[in-house]
Amino acid sequence: MIGAGISVLISAAVWFLAVAIPSKTGSPFAPIRDLCQRIAETSVGRGILESVYAFPIIEGFHLMGIALSIGVLCWLDLRLIGIAFTDQPVSKVWRQVIPVASLGFALMFITGGLLFWAEAITAYDSVHFWIKVALILLAGINALYFEVVTHRGIEEWDSAPVPPLKARIAGLVSLILWTAVIITGRTMAYSF
Amino acid sequence: MNTLYPFFKWANDTWLSQVINDSKWLFPAIEGVHIAALALLFGTILVMNLRLMGVMMPERPRSQLSRELEVWTLCSLVVILVTGVLLFVSEAVRSFNSGPFRIKIVLLIAAVLFHFTISRRLMREDERQHSAGLCKTAGVVAIGLWMGVGFAGRAIGFF
Repeated sequence: MIGAGISVLISAAVWFLAVAIPSKTGSPFAPIRDLCQRIAETSVGRGILESVYAFPIIEGFHLMGIALSIGVLCWLDLRLIGIAFTDQPVSKVWRQVIPVASLGFALMFITGGLLFWAEAITAYDSVHFWIKVALILLAGINALYFEVVTHRGIEEWDSAPVPPLKARIAGLVSLILWTAVIITGRTMAYSF
Repeated sequence: MNTLYPFFKWANDTWLSQVINDSKWLFPAIEGVHIAALALLFGTILVMNLRLMGVMMPERPRSQLSRELEVWTLCSLVVILVTGVLLFVSEAVRSFNSGPFRIKIVLLIAAVLFHFTISRRLMREDERQHSAGLCKTAGVVAIGLWMGVGFAGRAIGFF
């Protein structure tokens, strides 16, 4: 039931992106567009795009990065919300999850960078790409805020099955933002 | 292989296939759900198999972890299979001619069977009964199979 509900929400988000937000930028900002053009025209950028296998293989690793990072991080988020592993301290779940997720994030950012290298111009012209970048930044800010602010005083609620509201919000926001990153990552591949 | 072609042709011509192809946003929407479910499914598969290999959550009893993850695995598997069928129906004939699609289906069947027989049994039975080497091998095979499914799946879009 929850799966069906979330599926409908994700579909609604894609519908909104496809119908309400034209993906092509109307007034490109010339200096940065020129920079993207130059990035895409480097030998590496061209090489990735023109090779039969390089692009699909990097895409494959990018997808595996999603599974490693978001798929594993979601367990920390679910713990913070108070849904999963409620009998274990948050700090313990954190220690188990973060090394694996970090590996995934490294893989995702490296492969993401390579994909951008090849498609810099296409990405620049896609509004959905910029929404994706903004969402990643927001997810980063959310994680940083949790680390710096919410994380202080964790001793008080570390073992609580349901952490305080601020921690639950951090977990929920993280889940929503990373799901939205996946959605915009998909929609930027289509020209609506 | 060609004996299966009529089925692919039939799937390709269904009403559902037409609806998905006529819409500009339905295919990406289904794909978005498919990949979000993939993240969740692979996440649970990874946690389970890394526990089996002794990498993650070594203090948590395997059988307990297996039971906790079960509902998430099943739910995400249902979502990923339903959206997968919808994606398939919308381009069934193209899939028929796609090498990676065939590889993906074989690996998918192998991965699901491996999960519900060997992996699950190793997780549920007494930890002292099985050697660490066996568990590590099973974990690597399971993760490898699922990664194969992911890679082949991504390749369908290209080949």
